[in-house]
Amino acid sequence: MGRLEGKVAFITASGGAIAGATARLFGAEGAAVCCVDIVEENVNQAAADINDAGGKAIAITCDVTDDDAVRAAVDKTVAEFGKVDVCFNAAAYSEKRHRLADMPLDMWKSVIDVNLTGMFIVARHVIPQMQAAGGGSIINVSSIYGVVGAKERPAYCAAKGGVRMLSKSIAVDYAVDNIRANSIMPGPIETPRLLARNPSIEAVIERHGPRLHQKRLGKPEEIAQTALFLASDDASFTSGADMIVDGAYTAF
Amino acid sequence: MGMLDGKAALVTAAGGGIAGAIARRFGAEGAAVCCVDVNEETVAKTVADIEAAGGKAIARVCNVADEAAVKACVDETATIFGKLDVVVNAAAASEPLHTVANMPLEVWQEVLDVNLTGMFLVSKHAIPHMQAAGGGQFINISSTFGHIAWPQRPAYMATKGAVRQLTRSIALDFAPDNIRANSILPGAIETNRLLARTPTMEQVRAKMVPLHPIGRLGQPEDIANAAAFLASDQSSFMTGSDVFVDGGFTAV
Repeated sequence: MGRLEGKVAFITASGGAIAGATARLFGAEGAAVCCVDIVEENVNQAAADINDAGGKAIAITCDVTDDDAVRAAVDKTVAEFGKVDVCFNAAAYSEKRHRLADMPLDMWKSVIDVNLTGMFIVARHVIPQMQAAGGGSIINVSSIYGVVGAKERPAYCAAKGGVRMLSKSIAVDYAVDNIRANSIMPGPIETPRLLARNPSIEAVIERHGPRLHQKRLGKPEEIAQTALFLASDDASFTSGADMIVDGAYTAF
Repeated sequence: MGMLDGKAALVTAAGGGIAGAIARRFGAEGAAVCCVDVNEETVAKTVADIEAAGGKAIARVCNVADEAAVKACVDETATIFGKLDVVVNAAAASEPLHTVANMPLEVWQEVLDVNLTGMFLVSKHAIPHMQAAGGGQFINISSTFGHIAWPQRPAYMATKGAVRQLTRSIALDFAPDNIRANSILPGAIETNRLLARTPTMEQVRAKMVPLHPIGRLGQPEDIANAAAFLASDQSSFMTGSDVFVDGGFTAV
């Protein structure tokens, strides 16, 4: 018996490493999963992995900043699986390194659009479905950079801090509908995206030096396990919380 | 297959509402549990519950502020179970209402002795066993009152704030030994302790439920669920974190 038996999950950025691991874990735990991503090939792969493993998934290619497209994606999920009661909001990207004064306005706006407004848009379309389903759990992926600063990433930091409070706002306003909302703050996680910004895993570990107290990066599966807890009824009194999953990075 | 199969746990205050629920959940998840409390009768009841459910547990009466007693209790647990790799530090006292200016020093000292020094002592004597076991997990019970203030509870709040930082200190210093340490910050949990200052649970609910957006008081099992997650390998990249289980109390 899976821990998410009977639940329907809507997962953005499912083509990516963290949300992909989460989608696969949710599928393995019995949830029907709608995998959403802007990259068609990646999201198809995520859904195929779940279906191949005996789970139930569909893939939808969608830009989370497109309000109509998100509404259509949520509607399609409901048409396919009958409801939506878990939402994992992970779509995000980071600007190229700039200090604030050197950052073009377009770059700022584009990061805020995806990382923050995208979460708002997804939440605004899943919430009515959760109300109809009698409740739900929204899991928003913030970052340790929503808690502490990162050099030369003002838009990313601002958006991730915004995500943290957006989650709390949802938690407070929709508790009455039995909807919970929480944030996860991952530390540095071993993903292709991190590698794209850095020459090697070793270089990342060295750069973070003493803050990586376990002398390693986190794995996407370790974020997925936290999301599973938050999606499950084990977290029924956990709402408005910040789940920091960072190997003590921000404790230092 | 339980989440904690093969683990050996020591739970302080296991005769109480919250830690009792944690001990029972750990037993049900396959851990051998040493239940510790100053009250012989209540801790015996928790052990009987675990055994009746098919789990493995022993009871020890011990004051966590007494170093010799703590060392004997911890060492004996490791001898009986063959190791010790999970510790839940939940023992805590609360003062009668006082402001700082009118609180007698002895009242302050007594709360600090149990809530803070007791946690230090249990941790200090458990760590060598965790190192010998190749790793371990500390789950230290702080409180929302380690984060936000409440009238006339200076000692309780000071200790609960200190617990968060003691936990982070352990997380940093023992990460190389594969030991993780996290705090749980419960909101108002429906236990007999809430009746210390308010005559009936109905009155407690009338006062506290409006402060919890989720619309109810927490149950001890809500905290046990989070503790099981933190004790398990599912939280392997979480260390030094504050886990709020407060129904949105501090999200407002």
